[in-house]
Amino acid sequence: MDPALFAQHLLNGVMLGVIYALVAVGFTLFFGVLDVIKFSHGDVVMLGAFTALATSIAASAAGLSSPVILAAMLLAAIVGMALVGMLMARYLVLPLRNAPTLNVLLVTLMAGTVIREGVRLFYPQGSNPKPFPRLLPTGAFEFGAFTLRHDSIVLLVLGVGAIVFVHLLIVRTRLGLAIRAVAQDPETASAMGIPFRGTVLATFAIGSALAALAGVVNGLYYSEVSFNMGLLLGAIGFSAAVIGGLGNVYGAILGGFVFAALQTIGAVALPFASAYKDVFAFGVVILLMAWKPGGLLAERSAERV
Amino acid sequence: MTHLLEVSGLSVRFGGVRALDGLDLHLDEGETLGLIGPNGSGKTTSFNTITGFVLPAGGTVRFAGEDITAQPPRHVARRGIARTFQRLRLLTELSVFDNLMVGQHLTLDHGIWANLLGRSRLRGAIARQTDEMRTLLRHFSPTLPDRLHEPVSALTMIDRRRVEVCRALARSPRLLLLDEPSAGMTPDETAELMRDLQNVKAARPSLAVILIEHDMAVIERVSARCVVLDYGRKIADGSYAEVTRDPAVRRAYLGEEADA
Repeated sequence: MDPALFAQHLLNGVMLGVIYALVAVGFTLFFGVLDVIKFSHGDVVMLGAFTALATSIAASAAGLSSPVILAAMLLAAIVGMALVGMLMARYLVLPLRNAPTLNVLLVTLMAGTVIREGVRLFYPQGSNPKPFPRLLPTGAFEFGAFTLRHDSIVLLVLGVGAIVFVHLLIVRTRLGLAIRAVAQDPETASAMGIPFRGTVLATFAIGSALAALAGVVNGLYYSEVSFNMGLLLGAIGFSAAVIGGLGNVYGAILGGFVFAALQTIGAVALPFASAYKDVFAFGVVILLMAWKPGGLLAERSAERV
Repeated sequence: MTHLLEVSGLSVRFGGVRALDGLDLHLDEGETLGLIGPNGSGKTTSFNTITGFVLPAGGTVRFAGEDITAQPPRHVARRGIARTFQRLRLLTELSVFDNLMVGQHLTLDHGIWANLLGRSRLRGAIARQTDEMRTLLRHFSPTLPDRLHEPVSALTMIDRRRVEVCRALARSPRLLLLDEPSAGMTPDETAELMRDLQNVKAARPSLAVILIEHDMAVIERVSARCVVLDYGRKIADGSYAEVTRDPAVRRAYLGEEADA
């Protein structure tokens, strides 16, 4: 393949990988602390994107400049979704702590549907895809056939920065240690003085804030959001978390990039139409699961959160 | 004078079973108490109730003059009671260092931003902490300090036991509850652990310890006073020599027909 074209696909794959990793880390964090799958996570991604969209409309009506609007929408989405995540943990997930896991699955699946349909009904003309504002610099570096858009650089820095932040948070801070301890054994953690509920709420806030960021990055990258974007993103994020080894943060990040690589390969390197890229990617996920049921990083479980 | 720990009339029921039936217990600063009794006599249940893992049906627990009855485990931990578990409950996937850090959870806080960003400013504090941990571990084994950054899952049983005791000691508790620390260890290993514990006690004279133990020889060596439980009741309280002479204890422990 032409090196310039290859670089272009690689860049696109990395961009997708960052978005998927942001979503997958949430799944894996929630599973880590509570052993539950929160199926509304994809819809929280969507709600984050719509929160950002609404904020940007309000902010541009107020006549603010692009960087300020961008900061405002990121802040609104991240803080808003962190709150939504905490509320869901507090009122939907924690009360079911001693119920069968299936109940949590069902409840969060329903909550996701409520969020999705709520946006469709109550956001003005919510059924239609919405144009997402282009707030990032529009120029590009040209290297022959390879174009590096300025906005892609900003988005990559943002996404990778968030992933590094979460890594440092988990490895270096007291909260991170509390999250790791609760993930392994909530009872022991509380015997050591670690508050169980507070740690769970913080974890849900972090995971949901990452989902919001994923939604905003996704919107800025594709310049479009829609009420049902969370369905596919949720399925991909969940797959990525499972491929990597559920409960392992680094597995989720790896899984996000693996899935993006599969999609990119499916779209460009295989002899069928690029519309089949998801069929290809999910098909390979099935094979991966058959080959490594515990996920790619399951053997090295030392970093499990 | 008030005692460091005062348990009075503590009762716990599991369905129809009286796991604890009006237990009275007291302990002073610096004292080591052996808690003994047959299987199912309520020893571990009393630990679980004092530390807030099990809710009592009646009775009170007072620690350092404050009522801590039925408080959640993390509040009890915060007041200075640390414990180990009969079946080890280390976080085996984390390193020895992280486990000890979890033990110190309550006493640590350098601020989240300092940890995330300005690590260099913390280097001194972290080095000091690491040194403290190594010193603590060295009390128990000369080789453990070198394994500070290995996952606990790589350690032998006795080393894990030592790490669990160190984790409990890491936040300098006023009362240490040891739930059968010799379980699963050879008599030699047990003797070694008890010797190490006595060294720690010598270094921290005000530390109070309650030790659950099956092995009477171990109790005889380390604790001046024993409390014997049977069917959730206290049947004897006194020196090792006194309680082993007590007919009720002999019945509970050795069976009806035993007399010597």
